Amino acid sequence: MAEFVASALFVYTDDTKHLIKPVQNHPSGTRISAVAFEVLMQKPQEELEGVDHVVVAGSLDVIKEILRLAMKYRFSIGIIPTKKQKHLIKFYDLPKNPAAAVELALRQDGQNIDLILCNEEIMLFKAAIGRIPFLDTPAKASWIQVLLNALRKFVRFKLYTFRFGTAAKKEINTAASGCMILQHARGSFAARLISHDYSFTDGMASLVISAPISIIEYVKLLRQALRSSKRFKNLPSSIGYIKSPQIDIEPETGLDVIIDDQLTTQTPLHCETIAKAVRINVGKSLQEESRGAKDVRERIDVENLPTEKELLKVKKQKRIPFFSYASDERFHDLYKDLSEDARLNSIYVVLMVLSTMLATVGLYLSSASVIIGAMLLAPLMAPIVSLSMGILRGNIDLFKNSIGKIVIGVFIALISSALITLLFPYKPITDEMLARLNPTLLDLAVAIISGIAAAYSKSFREIIQSLAGVAIAVALVPPLAVAGIGIGRLDFYFFYQAFLLFSTNLVGIIIAATFTFRVLGYSAVVRSKRSLVVVFVFLVLISVPLYLSFSRIVEDRIFEQNLRKERFLVNEKYLIIIRASIIWRGDKRIILMDILAREPLTREDLNAFKKKIQTNFSKKLIIRLKTFYIP
Amino acid sequence: MKNLVYLSILFCFVCWLGGCDQKPAIEPSGKTIKIGIIAPFSGPVLAYGTEGLKGMQVAMQLQPYLDNGNGIELVVEDDKNEPALTVRLLKKLVKEVKVSAIITFSSTSPVLAMAKVADDYKTPVIAAIATNPDITKDNGFISQLVFDDNFQGIVAALFVRDDLLIDTVAVFNNPTSVYSSHLAAEFERKFKSIGGEITDTISLTEETADLSKVIKGVYDHTPELLYLPISVKDVIRVIREVRKLDWTPKMMGGDGLISTMLGQHKEDIDLVNGMLATDSFAHGMPLTPFGEGARDLYLDKYEETRTAYAALGAEGYAILLNAMNRCSDPADRGCINRQIRSTTNFPGILGNITIGPNGKSQRALIINSIQNGRSKFLFKVY
Repeated sequence: MAEFVASALFVYTDDTKHLIKPVQNHPSGTRISAVAFEVLMQKPQEELEGVDHVVVAGSLDVIKEILRLAMKYRFSIGIIPTKKQKHLIKFYDLPKNPAAAVELALRQDGQNIDLILCNEEIMLFKAAIGRIPFLDTPAKASWIQVLLNALRKFVRFKLYTFRFGTAAKKEINTAASGCMILQHARGSFAARLISHDYSFTDGMASLVISAPISIIEYVKLLRQALRSSKRFKNLPSSIGYIKSPQIDIEPETGLDVIIDDQLTTQTPLHCETIAKAVRINVGKSLQEESRGAKDVRERIDVENLPTEKELLKVKKQKRIPFFSYASDERFHDLYKDLSEDARLNSIYVVLMVLSTMLATVGLYLSSASVIIGAMLLAPLMAPIVSLSMGILRGNIDLFKNSIGKIVIGVFIALISSALITLLFPYKPITDEMLARLNPTLLDLAVAIISGIAAAYSKSFREIIQSLAGVAIAVALVPPLAVAGIGIGRLDFYFFYQAFLLFSTNLVGIIIAATFTFRVLGYSAVVRSKRSLVVVFVFLVLISVPLYLSFSRIVEDRIFEQNLRKERFLVNEKYLIIIRASIIWRGDKRIILMDILAREPLTREDLNAFKKKIQTNFSKKLIIRLKTFYIP
Repeated sequence: MKNLVYLSILFCFVCWLGGCDQKPAIEPSGKTIKIGIIAPFSGPVLAYGTEGLKGMQVAMQLQPYLDNGNGIELVVEDDKNEPALTVRLLKKLVKEVKVSAIITFSSTSPVLAMAKVADDYKTPVIAAIATNPDITKDNGFISQLVFDDNFQGIVAALFVRDDLLIDTVAVFNNPTSVYSSHLAAEFERKFKSIGGEITDTISLTEETADLSKVIKGVYDHTPELLYLPISVKDVIRVIREVRKLDWTPKMMGGDGLISTMLGQHKEDIDLVNGMLATDSFAHGMPLTPFGEGARDLYLDKYEETRTAYAALGAEGYAILLNAMNRCSDPADRGCINRQIRSTTNFPGILGNITIGPNGKSQRALIINSIQNGRSKFLFKVY
């Protein structure tokens, strides 16, 4: 059975005058005296003498003034919201129905709740400073609204340096686009971010800091905002969070402070929580929440926010960059792994020798499975990925160590396979070797995709096992082994073509892995442009022979394809080409053809056929025929 | 100095883009060389002439002058594809008009008539579409631009046997047409020699009565393919009778079938859908640079489907000018004739053309399938 206050003062404004009668005639039996807000504010002490409970119906400003008076005169408050005061209804869980609202307002079981004062202004729901894309987006906003909001706020989006202070005298220097203080602000994206950790009875103010340091981070934040109604276990990578009874906010430049959707003051901002400052009749859900409230400690979760060198970068930026960047501390574990990968050790040398030996034998056997085994055994991928990171971050140590390790590995591979070739009494050229003598731009494409996969796998421990697949796809050791075989055979063409394939893979992986690390946000705060330029020059240089090779292969494939639609009449004998393929031996273009004929071909026929081919296509074509007869 | 280097590089680049190595424009000399054209522009096969002339005009627009600046004047005569008239026009063009060379789009019979007197007039004649092997026989002045019927008949027979794997064929011919009877005979000879069976040999003329009975007889012998080196009108008649029997054998025609259909029998084009044909041209094949230029101009000028006759017209004109350009006096008939007959690997519309001292051309033959009113390329035979 609900209990009601014995007497109450009803404070109304012109807009809520009509509520006097319903309040006075409420069956609760509460004695109601009514006073206009303007009259009350003229002589508050007189009007409030002996008043223990005030029922108020008016604008948010009116309610805030009553709250201020409540702190001073220690009366409890009942609020009758108007239909338009949706925030208020949601915030205090008030009934929308006027009769029910009157009933709740007259009850005597009010809750002690905290009030936050920011620069002496009462903040009921939220205070926003700077640009806070998505944070104040209503939970029920459609994806189009969220997207438009994101685009609108992106214009002139930039980060400012901020200094945040807490009650425990902790000082946080960082950069952010803006921040938002929340007092139990239900429903917004910011509220969803910290929904597990805020209450209006814990004596704390919650500060959510938005710091998307790049367009990529901005988009990531947008993606998270679009996941409607989902609660977050962990804070997104561009969000910081401070919870403290007292929060000081001081940006590098004066910013407007919008409290409860009204431009109220300017930074610097000092916000203080007055615990259990007022007693208000709130809805059922909030009553239960306040019963379960525990004492909490100050909390600071700002690991994701820019620090130190990153702050210097922010100061220099007019706009946020496309890609993220990070200081060494931020990716400590990965950096440690990559440094380890770049260090030369005996295991690497042994594995390099073994994998090359295996690849060389596999190439001579023309055994794909043995060659794949060698690919898996090869340890070359790790220093290449480290080199990419070294280039991206301009880390000279990482760069030198990994490049040294690669060069030694390449040297070992070439020597090993050359020695095996010299030792072998029989040196056939197998299909597996030939397959590695015609690198094209497509091989560069494979290397680039593999490089992306390698850097991605390395960045996430849970998918590190995928590196084996990457190693097979890009196949670093077999071309090196073929190049070594070329040295052993003293065949420069062999060496050059295979080494070109290896260089293609190497440059492709480096470029792609560097780019991937950059996209993933591992760029150094101060980037080394020179190392990137060097890699791109290598890419351009290697692309020239690859492009020429690719064009030649495209031309050859078209020719082979066309030949299958061509027939030859030679001395009344009809020759059908069923297969044609072109191979190159040095600068000699050889066409291998399977042809179908009904009658036996004489030397004269073959000469006539050769003449037709050379007349209609190319005089330099060398022809090799295999004939199948139609019985 | 630095700027000079940059300017030089820029100049080289612009040259490369603009093609500074292209031939300089020819300065017209004011003189004109006459080329005679004898072709049917009226009568039952007027498409030979009208289509061929279109191709020549396109080629002429691409190459209006000889290298020495002499212009070209085309003197066009309609022989209605009648041998006697063809010979009279040959005489007129040589004696009265004094042309330096002649291109003819007349068929085998008129060109054979011309062949008998060609040596008397000592004027080079390029026979653009006549395929009979005898047109170059016993004369030194008629050169054949297209492949001959021996080649065509043999290729057709071998294609049917070895590519289509067909064992039985019924052959139709028109005994009043040298072209038809020769091609049919050549096909039959070769097909039989490689183990194929000719189920019927049907002689068909416009007077052939009761065609449905004839076709029924052929149908009863169940040939897998009908070889139809006959006139387009007769092809249409045969197909109509075949359809009446609800019969769908494979059918193959000779060169010019699709071109004549497009030129004169567009309304019946659906009838020949799916039919195979040997020809010198097909749509959708890779073209030579000359072929691309001619195609683009042709489409600009006529906005209609290109035909083999037009392609041959363009090639005939280009080969003739090429021969004239190699003569010190481009109007010298004897020199032009020698040069035509020593054309080697001349890039035609689809590929190289060589014309030997005997006046025979060596060029690829195309096997097409007629699809939706167009010749769809299947195979090229060298």
